[in-house]
Amino acid sequence: MTSVDETRREVREGASGPLLTMEGIRKTFGSVLALDGVDLTVGRSEVHGLLGGNGAGKTTLMNVLYGLYRPDSGSVVLDGSPVDIRDPRDAISHGIGMVHQNFLQVDTYTVTENVVLGTSLPSWPSLDLDDPAERIAELSKRFGLTVDPHAKVATLSVGLRQRVEILKALYRGAKVLVLDEPTTNLTPQEVDSLFGSLRAIVDEGMSVVFITHKIRETMAVCDALTVMRDGKRVGTVRRADTSASELATLMVGDDAAVGRVTEVVTAGMGAAAGTAATGAPARDLGDAPVRVSVRDLVVLGDHGVPATHGVSFDIRRGEVVGIAGVAGNGQVELAEAVAGVRALEKGAVEVDGEPLAGRPTAVWLESGVAYVPEDRHRDGILPSASIMENLVLGAQRSVRFRKGPFVDWKAARRHAEEAIRAYSVKASGPSAPAAALSGGNMQRVILARAFSHRPGFLILHNPTRGLDIPSTQFVYDRVREAAAEHSAVLLMSEDLDELTHLCDRVLVLYSGRIVGERTRGHYDQYELGHLMAGLEDTA
Amino acid sequence: MNEATSFLQLVVTAMVPFILAAQGTMIAGRAGVFNVAQEGLMMLGASVGFLVSLKMGGNLVGLLVAALVGAAFGWFLGWVTTRFRLDQFVIGLALFFAATGIASLLYKVVIGVTLKPPLIDTLPDLEIPLLSSIPVVGTVLFTQDVMVYFAFLVSGLLYWMLYRTNLGLKLRSVGENPKAADSLGVSVARTRIWCSTAGGALMALAGAYLPMTYTGTYTEGIVAGRGWLAIALAFFGGWRPQYILAGSAFFAGMEVLALRVQVGGVDIPHQFISMLPYAATLLVMMFALRWASVPAFLGRNYDRESRH
Repeated sequence: MTSVDETRREVREGASGPLLTMEGIRKTFGSVLALDGVDLTVGRSEVHGLLGGNGAGKTTLMNVLYGLYRPDSGSVVLDGSPVDIRDPRDAISHGIGMVHQNFLQVDTYTVTENVVLGTSLPSWPSLDLDDPAERIAELSKRFGLTVDPHAKVATLSVGLRQRVEILKALYRGAKVLVLDEPTTNLTPQEVDSLFGSLRAIVDEGMSVVFITHKIRETMAVCDALTVMRDGKRVGTVRRADTSASELATLMVGDDAAVGRVTEVVTAGMGAAAGTAATGAPARDLGDAPVRVSVRDLVVLGDHGVPATHGVSFDIRRGEVVGIAGVAGNGQVELAEAVAGVRALEKGAVEVDGEPLAGRPTAVWLESGVAYVPEDRHRDGILPSASIMENLVLGAQRSVRFRKGPFVDWKAARRHAEEAIRAYSVKASGPSAPAAALSGGNMQRVILARAFSHRPGFLILHNPTRGLDIPSTQFVYDRVREAAAEHSAVLLMSEDLDELTHLCDRVLVLYSGRIVGERTRGHYDQYELGHLMAGLEDTA
Repeated sequence: MNEATSFLQLVVTAMVPFILAAQGTMIAGRAGVFNVAQEGLMMLGASVGFLVSLKMGGNLVGLLVAALVGAAFGWFLGWVTTRFRLDQFVIGLALFFAATGIASLLYKVVIGVTLKPPLIDTLPDLEIPLLSSIPVVGTVLFTQDVMVYFAFLVSGLLYWMLYRTNLGLKLRSVGENPKAADSLGVSVARTRIWCSTAGGALMALAGAYLPMTYTGTYTEGIVAGRGWLAIALAFFGGWRPQYILAGSAFFAGMEVLALRVQVGGVDIPHQFISMLPYAATLLVMMFALRWASVPAFLGRNYDRESRH
């Protein structure tokens, strides 16, 4: 195994020219063309951004580099010599390391065990993990990736688990380190610390490929970047020679389209410029009455342990309230509880003055509660049912879709055709199975269902996760529309930019408690990050 | 030898099939392959072990051939569930039926229908020098046949391999998070196939032991549900070799006790005692969640290019 030091020497003494070149990479999944002859050139000692909306093919390209996907055609040249990467083992031996968006870790293992997994270590008379642990501690120190080598990874925060992933690659002597959307679920403070580590890594002669859909992140950390769209490379630029608006145009395609989706690509740009407060000034809700009232909510998690400890908040008519927090602090349980999907252990939920706790789901639905769950494949849709059936689901009792004791399928079909048109769902028709839809189109169907009964209380949990730019813009427009029609909106998101951009008020959830609140006009991402990390509110 | 000592000695003998079949289940399961063909593989092991011993004159040859046949079945399960990603449970059940059928068929083809079934020698006791002269313990643990020592040795080796070697670290990761293992260059398919092969061999050995220690011959009902109990035992022991070893003492104890009650005319239905291992397993599953940790990917196939 090559150590980091050898890598450093090799890279410095090696031939000049780019460290990594990928040429004409093409990959299809069934009939879907995911990569259409993509080129990528990464120089030495640089952080190279791979920028694009969801579905642009960034992750697929890197999965090809890491040997997880076999390309249909194309070639990879590393350090001047062509390489054939058949599986991750080849990738690792060629000095490629990858930090996946969903960390690939064994929860029941310690940090050290996760790092050494797959390397050759002597086992007689028994596996010695002391030396590796020492080396991990040394690498941690050198690159600012502090973590206890003996801790079980299941007990670590997202930020620390990410450090483990980076250490895994460094321990194996990676020359090229790929990070897939590494800032998801990090607080702004953790993002700064990550960027510091990336600089330390490239300063030692390695290169980093940084996958992101956020322009502001590429501007903050990248030396050069490649923009992808629809499985194609649309441009490669040096950061010094480009601007956020040029990148936005490259990401979206044409200038006219940029206008329509501009807020998606530029959300959070204010923070990049270094200004503390972001977003528009506070919206005047006048004396709008309280629509949703949540009091002292205690909800049990899947293991029977309380996941929220007395959460209380009000949402007024037309108000958009955000919940910020690192995933796993009670978001899922809170969302499901206020949506009526999960039983309340204690506390009350009222919509328009009507108490809903303990009542059947039908009553929740009638009082105007609409829920867009985080995991749309699992909780949002019946994959083998048709789009039409999915759209009627939950409203099957309403007079609109009833004909005596039966469902009025003619009315349902009319409704579905209308929704498909109004929500620009790309599908062959109302009878197409929901499973055939792409993520963005599936989310449009779920939104159409949520909106079809004029929701009084709309709960959205990570509604734009995995969506391409136009679909994300579509979600933003619908959120505003709901607020304009006096709905109370609860938006839970892992994207702080999205929250500060859309919400009138942001509550921070930590360990099942609301630990702080900021209103529009007073948003400071670092302050929010401070709260998200469980530190005391100093403001 | 007093009553208690001979009871314990019988219990240790009865532990062997449980230990071997459950450790076989465990080793395949820790890599993610959930074999449910134990009952059938034990029948096949009993049949093959008996027939080979009879015809080739030697218990050890019989054990060896039985292990090879079991290994072939285990290999097949591992291969089709990794190479073609067929459903583990469906294939496991198919293998159960196939093995059960082949076991009876082999016996009928080779022996036919006889009034007086042919017998093989049962395994002789091997007294371990010095240790066997310790009172009680010497009789219970060190005056036993070779397979008793083998079963304990296998348990110890499995424990060492799983928790003290690099191989074990890789093996367990394949059952816990195959994607993580794969991304670090650990071959999921190869690991699973090898573990399933070893598991199959152990299961067949468990079966082959039965005619060589109890009956001296093969009968259709020889396994009597011990294979199914081995699955329960794997769960009962939290998929850990050391607890499976301990649990097999309890399972075997209940088996011998049920037999004693039946013979001795005590006023407890023996079915009640035979049920206790199942009841205990249920209780462990319900109340000792942490202890009864199940490999996260047990029974689930892995597809590298799956997009979810």
